[in-house]
Amino acid sequence: MKGSMLRTLAGAAALALAAATAPTQANGPTDADLMNDAASTGDVLTYGMGPRAQRFSPLKAISTDNVAKLVPAFSASLGGEKQRGQEAQPIVYDGTIYVTGSYSRLFAFDARTGEEKWQYDARLPEGIMPCCDVVNRGAAIYGDKIIFATLDAHLVALNRETGKVIWNKKVADYQAGYSATAAPIIVKGKVIYGNSGGEFGIVGAVEARDVETGELVWRRPTIEGHMGSLNGKDNGITGKLNASWQGDLWKTGGGATWLGGTYDPETNLLYFGTGNPAPWNSHLRPGDNLYTSSTLAIDPDTGVIKWHFQTTPHDGWDFDGVNEFIPFDATINGKPMKLGAKADRNGYFFVLDRTNGKFIGAHKFVMQTTWANGFNAKGRPNYIDANRPGAPTAEKGTSVFASPSFLGGKNWMPMAYSQDTGLFYIPSNDWGMDIWNEPIAYKKGAAYLGAGFTIKPIAEDHIGALRAMDPKTGKIVWEYKNKAPLWGGVLTTAGNLVFTGTPEGYLKAFDAKTGQELWKFQTGSGVVGSPVTWEQDGEQYVAVMSGWGGAVPLWGGEVAKSFKDINQGGSLWVFKLAR
Amino acid sequence: MIGRRGLLLGAAAAAGLALLPALAEAAPLAKVKALGVLRIAVYKDNRPWSWTEAGKVHGIDADLARAIADKLGVRVDLAEIIADESVDDDLRNAVWKGGLLGFMPADLMLHIPFDRTFASRNDQVAIIAPYYRESFQLACAPGALDCEAPPTQWRGKRLAAELDSIPDFYLIGAFGGILAKDVTHYMSGAEAVAAVTGGKADAVLASRAQIEAGLHDSGGRTLDRRKMPLPAFTSPGWDIGMAVKENSRTLGDAVEEIVAAMTASGELKAIFAAHGVTYAPALAA
Repeated sequence: MKGSMLRTLAGAAALALAAATAPTQANGPTDADLMNDAASTGDVLTYGMGPRAQRFSPLKAISTDNVAKLVPAFSASLGGEKQRGQEAQPIVYDGTIYVTGSYSRLFAFDARTGEEKWQYDARLPEGIMPCCDVVNRGAAIYGDKIIFATLDAHLVALNRETGKVIWNKKVADYQAGYSATAAPIIVKGKVIYGNSGGEFGIVGAVEARDVETGELVWRRPTIEGHMGSLNGKDNGITGKLNASWQGDLWKTGGGATWLGGTYDPETNLLYFGTGNPAPWNSHLRPGDNLYTSSTLAIDPDTGVIKWHFQTTPHDGWDFDGVNEFIPFDATINGKPMKLGAKADRNGYFFVLDRTNGKFIGAHKFVMQTTWANGFNAKGRPNYIDANRPGAPTAEKGTSVFASPSFLGGKNWMPMAYSQDTGLFYIPSNDWGMDIWNEPIAYKKGAAYLGAGFTIKPIAEDHIGALRAMDPKTGKIVWEYKNKAPLWGGVLTTAGNLVFTGTPEGYLKAFDAKTGQELWKFQTGSGVVGSPVTWEQDGEQYVAVMSGWGGAVPLWGGEVAKSFKDINQGGSLWVFKLAR
Repeated sequence: MIGRRGLLLGAAAAAGLALLPALAEAAPLAKVKALGVLRIAVYKDNRPWSWTEAGKVHGIDADLARAIADKLGVRVDLAEIIADESVDDDLRNAVWKGGLLGFMPADLMLHIPFDRTFASRNDQVAIIAPYYRESFQLACAPGALDCEAPPTQWRGKRLAAELDSIPDFYLIGAFGGILAKDVTHYMSGAEAVAAVTGGKADAVLASRAQIEAGLHDSGGRTLDRRKMPLPAFTSPGWDIGMAVKENSRTLGDAVEEIVAAMTASGELKAIFAAHGVTYAPALAA
């Protein structure tokens, strides 16, 4: 941690300044503040702008009428050589903007001037081999702490005023393939997070720690047969041993929870998505392979699973089910319902009863799904068997075309739900892949049977598509097409606006009802972060990270043509209306 | 997770991306000699080839690496690399580009498959000096099961395999998967062999080097070794060589000469023998 002395000094100076100029919010955000984040407009305290992660702001000073006058207030560089993959969502509190940067860094910037207050660089072991770039998606704030996860699978709590470490806990072993990139969430004094890693030999889990001490409170593995824990004692097995797995494959079954979760205070349930099963070839693991590629509803007090819904049973395409499940209320067939929605990697937008996981509907939100033809009334996919990739053989075999590609109809980037329009805004991608058995493959120096693949666009004019989905009808109300794949989060506001970024470098604003593009600004590098908005000194601000990276540039082929001229970067951009 | 998808992507990514300049150029021969150090990458946790015990890297590859540096008259800098999803990825991380988090490229990497198709899609490196022929074998605890029987007769026996390997895919997938419930998975081939020598399993399908080294380490245990080919088994074996960066051929040539001399003198065979493994020359050698 180079420069800790400098940090301390800067922190002390910031403290002194704050004390002199404004009433400090010395105690920091409370549980109640976090739960009220969606309604409180003067701050952004949670990943998702509220525990339900609707990414909706009631602010309307910036609206369809004046968004054209949005101009930069300031920009702040993350500096250094680490100019890639800025997928974070800013946190804004008490005159400070906190952002996490690639390579496990956390920055505190003055929210009025953009000057850096302090910076924390995690010291990472050089042996880490992160599968999918060096990103981080954001921090969590609570009391005097700002907390984030690092690539070597640690959770670090820093003093939000000084950047000094309060606690630092190893949550998994990076040498065993684990990593951490998601923003943690904080519920009732517990910091709750998932795990991530390659598919080799890992098992997904959700864990809760005491936010004050970092000590483990409960742990819930996501794969059938594994024992959960609560306060150091066994707390029941997940599912039923060998109910949907053969032999001992459940021990290494996958199901990583690498994108974190959401929370609904009304039902007191956490919602975490789980990754795909292992081994990768579905023919070697008959059964549904629970609870992979699923959404789990978990009791935040005990870590017990209350219900599950599997979006891709017996996955054979790498369709992680990690995507965010966003609670919302709507009236369906005349009946007011407590619902939740998830836009899945597999190309379907799911609406479930969030109190019990009951299937309400699954609506296609991409151009093409080759693997299934819709879902039946029970919520099971109508598989198209001919399009399932084959069993591993020593022959090259036939190539199967699968759409969406393994990067998904929607990947990690979070969608938004407008309480005004009742629409979900989904950052999606239309792309497929050829996949075949690859006999000339090697792993750790030994012969191996792998799969070869190439990702390719399926439309002439676009890969990315921002789509407005009506969750009550499953209809797409409007769409905006983008040449390069969309890889950033979405924000919607009561000003009838939808904001999202593009790899081409723009932050764009759209009319939430019609999809008409109203404003754009070139940030200098691809935008793959999630925008936020808040009110400060009587004005509405919008902020987003710029810095191309993430998993997309790691995959070449035809898709690479759409972003070959995009440069790396690493900056926070903050906007407000011109006076 | 998408890590395994990197399998064929090393080359594609190289073509598709304007790659960052390598943090440190892997040094050709003159530079290695001038610096007085040869950085050699070996796999972490890869018994009997390379593994760390009490702070020292042991194994056939570790010994071979030290001998090569010694014969070049330079110090060895042994760098252990955590295996990624495919060797293509490992070559990117350890030889021609370096790791995303600062793993410095090595001058030479051991234990790289020597295979024309594989080499052609990894054109950022030169694959050289094939030094061993590897293959999978079945080893059985005497009396526990009939090693030469048709595999379908092994139902109900305790079978061991390394997770996510060809032996694993064969045992859980072949014959309609009827042996799937009998397979116990281990995180490495060496652990799978140790399960049989330790009496926890009846048979193991693993590499010949893993089996022979495991027997050597177990202090004189013997296992039956299947002589007949396994029906519908897909891997005929493969050659193991080394890799240098594509522009380090002067170093590659010098290493090839050293390995050829060690083969001729019996020194290579002796290194294998010290770990209990019978040396087998690469078919391409």
